[in-house]
Amino acid sequence: MTPESATANHAAGADGTARRLAFVCPRFAEGPTVGGAETLMRALAVRAARRGRDVTFFTTCARNHFTWENVLPEGERRSEGVRVRYFRVDAHRDVGAFLKVQDAISRGRLVSRAEEDLWLRNSVNSAALCEALRRDADRFDRIIAGPYLFGLVEAVSRIAPGRTLLAPCLHDEPFAYLASIREMFARVRGCLFNSDPERGLACRLQARPAAARDAVVGLGLDDFASDPRAFASRRGLAAPYIVYAGRREPLKGTPLLVDYLAAFRTRTRRDVKLVLTGSGPVDLPDALRPHVIDAGFVSERDKHDIMAGAAAFVHPSLNESLGIVILEAWLARTAALVRAASPVLRHQCRASNGGLWFRHYPDFEEMLVALLEDEALRRALAGAGRRYVLERYAWPAVEKRLLDALDA
Amino acid sequence: MHDRIFEIGAEGVDTEALVARIRARVADKTERGAYTDAAVARAERTNLAALRDDDEFMGFYLDCLRDAAFVDIGDFEILERRRTLAPLLVALKRLIWKLLKFYTYRLWSQQNQINGMLVTAVEAMETRYGERLRRLEARLNTAAPGDGNAPGHDA
Repeated sequence: MTPESATANHAAGADGTARRLAFVCPRFAEGPTVGGAETLMRALAVRAARRGRDVTFFTTCARNHFTWENVLPEGERRSEGVRVRYFRVDAHRDVGAFLKVQDAISRGRLVSRAEEDLWLRNSVNSAALCEALRRDADRFDRIIAGPYLFGLVEAVSRIAPGRTLLAPCLHDEPFAYLASIREMFARVRGCLFNSDPERGLACRLQARPAAARDAVVGLGLDDFASDPRAFASRRGLAAPYIVYAGRREPLKGTPLLVDYLAAFRTRTRRDVKLVLTGSGPVDLPDALRPHVIDAGFVSERDKHDIMAGAAAFVHPSLNESLGIVILEAWLARTAALVRAASPVLRHQCRASNGGLWFRHYPDFEEMLVALLEDEALRRALAGAGRRYVLERYAWPAVEKRLLDALDA
Repeated sequence: MHDRIFEIGAEGVDTEALVARIRARVADKTERGAYTDAAVARAERTNLAALRDDDEFMGFYLDCLRDAAFVDIGDFEILERRRTLAPLLVALKRLIWKLLKFYTYRLWSQQNQINGMLVTAVEAMETRYGERLRRLEARLNTAAPGDGNAPGHDA
């Protein structure tokens, strides 16, 4: 622990309120091409600003999370009461060296400290951002940085660790076991977690000290109206359907969902469709192609209508720190079906009684058949999920948890 | 028709109990060989990586693998759905099968031998390493805190 983090308590105002906040995230969530972590960081910043805090958001000029090309202009803009400062991503990344070490880590190979440093150095970094933050660091009572898996966030955690809160969006993955990541968790003032299982994982992997100012905050949602018949009638869809919303990629489990639906249709001879919203390619067998509806990017209203009309929202991902789309599905009065191997999604379903969790295909088949056949079951699960979201993830509750954590 | 597997009580639905009931039903159907077809094996391709933490499923998967490992190379009844010339078509198919069998029997029997050895090896590894892990866990549980012999303890 650094001397600063050991001694400083920079709760700024005389009343202990952390008024001046800096948020740091490699991308600022504008438009549809961002992930959950970016959405979370932006939403927390905006909410803090609405509650009277002075918020500056430090981010990069990149939008694409594969190329990290600087496409946005540098400088400063305002967005929903937040001052957003854009800085260029460092140009001299050795992507080859980065990918080589990243691949080794992903495969579970033990890497040396030198390799870890090489990996962090060639990850997404912005010397300009760090320099600006270092210059202004004394202005801020708290620096909130995340997600954990970027060289930029690791570098920021060193600037004023005693005032830094990490919003890690932590997953149980090989990167979380690295010594440099463990040191970052030990260095910072505290963490803002999205869920209890994420906090539990951090305690297990990162040996969080009891004195750490950790809190489970999460992301808030506003209630919305939705029409369960709108999507089906617009598409002329008579068969029941299940839905997945989000990025389509192996890490999110979409290939598994496609395989399961193919097996389900073959084995049960039930005409069940799959509706996908979001981005990314999806590899479909020819026989399944007519039964998968790729709605692509849709408006929030359309997404909620699609969710509302589904027999179930299926979330096949393993690594989540909070299943935001499941919360939305519950608000749309739809039951959830998730993988048992995902501690966070399973926890959400168990805590809310809003969904079921499958270990493998046989479980999936039994559960989906039960949901398709039993409307009362669907209603009961969806109703329990909705009550859980309104109670725990309504913005007033989340804002209170956020502000308490910032001021602690 | 699916049997109703839950009742909504005054306090709503209990997903924990519901999942347990569904798992019991799956275990029963697994016992009866309801999930050993190729469609399930294909569907589980992408789930394999997640199985390492699930002892129960590893057992289930090995059962399925054992059932699916051996290619059936025995004779089977040859039928013809078309009524016209049915006896002739059946005779033709039988002839083709006899010719094919002569050439493929050796191939399939070798394949069966390889499949059988692989399944046996995987089962043996599972048993052996499972037992070793159980012994290690038992040692960890009995080791007193601060015991210098406990694995992973830094001096």
